Amino acid sequence: MARSVFFHSVKIDKKKCIGCVRCMKGCPTKAIRVKNGKAIINKERCIDCGECLRVCQYNAVVPITTSSADLNKFRYRVAVPSPVLYSQFGQHIMPNEILSVLKELRFDFVYDEALMCEMTSGAIEEYLDDNKGPKPVISSTCPVVVRLIQRLFPSLCNRIIPIEPPREIAAKNLRVEISNKYKVKKEDIGIIHITPCAAKMVSINHPETLQKSYLDGALSIQDIYNEIMMKLKKAEKPYILEAQRQVSGIGIGWAIAGGETRGLKYFHSVSVSGVYDTIKILEDVEAGRLDNIEYLGCLICPDGCIGGPLTVENRFMAKSNVLRLIKTFGGKRRVTAHFVKKLYQQRFFSFEASVKPKPFSPLDINREKAIRKMKLLEKTFGKLPHIDCGVCGAPDCRTFAEDVARGEAKISDCLFIKTRKGRNEK
Amino acid sequence: MRDKAAFEQVFKIKGGDFINAGESSIRIRNILKDIGIDANIIRRVAIAAYEAEMNVVMYAQRGLMKVVINPEQIFLRVEDKGQGIEDIELAMRPGFSTATEEMRERGFGAGMGLPNIKRNSDHFSIRSSVGQGTKLEMIFELNGENG
Repeated sequence: MARSVFFHSVKIDKKKCIGCVRCMKGCPTKAIRVKNGKAIINKERCIDCGECLRVCQYNAVVPITTSSADLNKFRYRVAVPSPVLYSQFGQHIMPNEILSVLKELRFDFVYDEALMCEMTSGAIEEYLDDNKGPKPVISSTCPVVVRLIQRLFPSLCNRIIPIEPPREIAAKNLRVEISNKYKVKKEDIGIIHITPCAAKMVSINHPETLQKSYLDGALSIQDIYNEIMMKLKKAEKPYILEAQRQVSGIGIGWAIAGGETRGLKYFHSVSVSGVYDTIKILEDVEAGRLDNIEYLGCLICPDGCIGGPLTVENRFMAKSNVLRLIKTFGGKRRVTAHFVKKLYQQRFFSFEASVKPKPFSPLDINREKAIRKMKLLEKTFGKLPHIDCGVCGAPDCRTFAEDVARGEAKISDCLFIKTRKGRNEK
Repeated sequence: MRDKAAFEQVFKIKGGDFINAGESSIRIRNILKDIGIDANIIRRVAIAAYEAEMNVVMYAQRGLMKVVINPEQIFLRVEDKGQGIEDIELAMRPGFSTATEEMRERGFGAGMGLPNIKRNSDHFSIRSSVGQGTKLEMIFELNGENG
């Protein structure tokens, strides 16, 4: 398999990293090693889940997102904020106030992604209505889930619903509409997602199911939070956006785990959040244990996108805020089913390409050698203390044994083996 | 065959242990991924191994699952000390199950276990004696049409 370019949304700041083992221990795909006192991310194994970003105490894991200065490249700037943004400023600030402040700050146009979330719910129903393929069908919303399936569960690639996430569909449509309405050249329009996680940068720079992303960047909620907050505080009367939106609680609900499935009418659906629970449920799917479920919503961050590493409000407060908004805006769909059906049939929501399996490299590309290395792995593992101390620079004894089998570490890197040997020699 | 590379490992399965049920199949699955076996074959092995493991958990006191991997085949043997199967032909029939109400409440006992194992493996054999136990053997071809 040719090694493709792996773009990632986090990097280690070598000056700040003190070489502790927190990120290495927390990494669900065992992509981090500590070598010479610094954490190193293995680009091939990283899936951009952001766990390292969460656990680092030294701000040494740096997210890579679009900066405010980058926005100046575009003549006409459009913001497509994740509905998570509405959960960040307390219970009394309504989405339209946040959108108007955002517009005033540095955008020419703001779009309420919740509207497209609601439409996407309709498109998912259309797909499930006709689905004759294997079950469960898995949500495509979280780019990390898609990457996780490609790498760890390649046989499940064909379960991913071939419908683009709302942010991409929104951007595709906005570019055409704005260009026509305001007579702006398409290439002069910069469409920026306001994001709770850095992983969107990966799906924007290297989309899996599109020729090219329709978005031009992703600005983190953390980076723009203060400015919005200051403006909201200073405002004498509430900001109201000219055209009132027709959004319902269904779209806003996409910010929390279960929001995407809540909008689906009669399908047997299950929703899961958090990277470890997602891996566990996908193991069950792969073993054929969940064939009775029709739709599986997975989000990598705990409690869904409100638990994203680049949010400001703690996720429990944020969840409470979203639930209140859902109540306020109601659970009844405002977009007509007929309208969505028509768009669905025109393939408005569809993937341009299917998700391709990209499994992790085996121990060796030659099967016979791989089997021999597997034996070496088990033999090495048998000699190790199994206490997963991490001193060797690998997250646990099993992974260390794998590194040894791959020829990437020496068994003498294990402190226990080294001291035992030393004692024997004396 | 002697000089060919072959990897083998044996896993213990405890009857009635629903908490850890499925762990051995997951470990086998991870081994196959590390060796670089085709994703679809892994899925078939994962399904068959899981069903066989669950049968031991549900119907036996204890069992052993042995996996042997060589460049041509994956061999899986699941042997248990348990109640055994009275009528194998009947047990192989889709939908037939002797699961108790309690097992069904846990979502097991749909009567698809053995048929699923047979469907997902390339060669399958079963031997059982009542009051003694059951032995299943499965072979998955790595270079055949299904790969």
